[in-house]
Amino acid sequence: MSRELYACLYTREFPVQSLLRLRPDLRGIPVAVLDGRAPLEMICSMNRAALETGAVCGMTRLEAERIPGLRLLLRSPQCETAAREVFMECAANFSPRFEEIGADTHCACMLDIAGAERLFGTPAVFAQRMRQALAAAGFRASAAVSANFHTALLKAATASGVSVIPEGQEAVALANLPVDALHLPEKEAETFAIWGIRSLGELAALPEVELIARLGQDGKRWRDIASGALPHLFQPAEPKLSLQEFCEFESAVEQIDSVLFIAARMIDSLVTRAAGRALSLALLNIAMRLEGGRSHQLTLRPALPTTDRKFLLKLLQIELASHPPQSAIVALTMAAEAAQAGIVQLGLFSSQLPEPSRLDVTLARLKALVGDDRVGSPVLEDSHRADAFHMEAFAVGTQCAAIASPKPRMALRRIRPPHPVHVRCSNQKPVAFHDGRQSYAIAVSYGPWRTSGCWWAADDWDRDEWDVLIAQEQCAHLLVNDRRQNRWYLEAVYD
Amino acid sequence: MPSANALRIQIERTLENRFPAALTPMPRTVRQVATVGILEVDSLLSGGFPIGAISEIIGPSTSGRTCLTLSFIAQRTSEGKVCAWVDASDSLDPESAAANGVRLRQLLWVRCASNAAPGNGKPWSPLDRALRATDLLLQAGGFAAVVLDLGDVAGEHARRISLATWYRFRQAADQSRSCLLVLGSAAYAQSSADVVLECAPLVAGDTNQPVLESCAFDVQLKRQRSASSVAAIRKPPASTWTAPGAWAMGACATGDRG
Repeated sequence: MSRELYACLYTREFPVQSLLRLRPDLRGIPVAVLDGRAPLEMICSMNRAALETGAVCGMTRLEAERIPGLRLLLRSPQCETAAREVFMECAANFSPRFEEIGADTHCACMLDIAGAERLFGTPAVFAQRMRQALAAAGFRASAAVSANFHTALLKAATASGVSVIPEGQEAVALANLPVDALHLPEKEAETFAIWGIRSLGELAALPEVELIARLGQDGKRWRDIASGALPHLFQPAEPKLSLQEFCEFESAVEQIDSVLFIAARMIDSLVTRAAGRALSLALLNIAMRLEGGRSHQLTLRPALPTTDRKFLLKLLQIELASHPPQSAIVALTMAAEAAQAGIVQLGLFSSQLPEPSRLDVTLARLKALVGDDRVGSPVLEDSHRADAFHMEAFAVGTQCAAIASPKPRMALRRIRPPHPVHVRCSNQKPVAFHDGRQSYAIAVSYGPWRTSGCWWAADDWDRDEWDVLIAQEQCAHLLVNDRRQNRWYLEAVYD
Repeated sequence: MPSANALRIQIERTLENRFPAALTPMPRTVRQVATVGILEVDSLLSGGFPIGAISEIIGPSTSGRTCLTLSFIAQRTSEGKVCAWVDASDSLDPESAAANGVRLRQLLWVRCASNAAPGNGKPWSPLDRALRATDLLLQAGGFAAVVLDLGDVAGEHARRISLATWYRFRQAADQSRSCLLVLGSAAYAQSSADVVLECAPLVAGDTNQPVLESCAFDVQLKRQRSASSVAAIRKPPASTWTAPGAWAMGACATGDRG
């Protein structure tokens, strides 16, 4: 039994497939892709429906526009790069040894599947499963399995569906293929045409020594390929995980729902790719290219790495609703960072805590409701300045062990911003103040408590604080005299 | 001659098909309670605020309602639970909260009083935002306590909150087992509230001292749905307690039962 076994996955019309991968709504209609600079654009790739309308590669835009019902899209190299990565990742799920065979209008990949029968079944089943995986990712591909590298490649490039070539039958399987399948240089192709060699079977039947005498070592190479005997030094690619998706719209999109429709497909693809490596998405960067050359960035950072598509889409929807782009969207790029899936240890006697994914959605909704900087946990600053704190993102899981809390003490209710008041003093003590609507007589005043700081900076402070009891209301207030401006403020109420 | 008990059973059996609920007493829900951390208030409430229900803490300024609420939140956070403070008027003082023992890392503070509308541009009033935020937090679940701080919201606005909203809050709190504390100047939740605690200022410290050392507060239990006594209470149970200032080191809350 041969120790070599290769499976080739081959995707034709890659420019159009890469564009339609995230646009399932366009798959049933004739679509052609234009390449080149305007006005010299020509069709470089099309789907089967477009072929049936009479469109051919090389047709100019003017000619293509005359075909009724033919949808014309512009070729997108970024889209093709992203799609190629997805294609390779799909292939890498079946074998860690794969070799990329790049070309302009197709995408192919050769997998070394020797010894994988126990995992995936017979070569035919194996090839069928690979095709199905690619179909789920949005690609129509053909697959061929052979013990010879070049035979598998030629068969996959020329036949549709699944082809399994038994060992020793390579020459027979290739015999009917045209010589053009070898992509010969023009001069040699003409030579073969003069000789009357039209198929690979006829080429393989030529005598080796005479062929080398006329065409050199290239002739021997072509003959070996045609007979399925040319060896190949397999050069496996280094598998890398780059979670990125790109989609360019044919016209600028204003509706958020339309963007979410595409984004859902992108998230789906990213999650599938990460899950294929037992990873989850820890961060999602969404970059939007807007009309007029501007850009708009969004970042989703779930509390725990997740593979929940609906949850990520919900987060994106809320984020887009609270931070909508300023103009229509031309292109959408989504890049993700993968991490190990979050593990939460549950317990019968652990505290009742919010579920991380639900909390993320709730926090996003709260931020959309009141503003980004107004939701979170307060953190006191190391300063003697009054009301010195800043907000930090609220996170569950940082709680400490249970300890006894101190006894209750008088609390302040802050008035933000402090309310300016007019104060009447007697013996350097406030005896009454007026808040603009009403006058209050002060029964007792405690103070002053003088504080100052940051004299070296622009935000310095120098103030006297007075705790005052209002005579008529039995109410304790915190009055502050800003000594820099000689102004009085009602800053807080004791409660 | 049949006894009164037998007669009652006979009447009930006769009428049970026509008026199934008329003669059946409502099942009493005995709720678990969570301690406030102030001995006098805990004994007044028979243990603390009920879990999974609405409790209202009402009163004017300097009545100790914020201090009492912070004490309750401090107890919850010290147990390792997380709480939320929905602030309709942006009046929470983090320093006071920390001085009362609240673990700020476990407190989600939602400040609803911003004038600038967020990205969606909907012109919600701070009260509307506070109600929506409370709804979201209760629906999300997992918060041991949610405080809806309406302390500085004008009464004429807060009274317009519909009964349907309070009913929804009650249901959500029940399902998520969260204590919803409503801090206000008057009782707004009406029949949806399990407990209504009215606070009032009693006396503000010693006027001869150079600093405001402490405040004494009066607290009255205005309503308690799960009270075991069915007899009419002429005077609601009351208590007093005292809170020292944050700067009064070594002092602690004291009080006596009224």
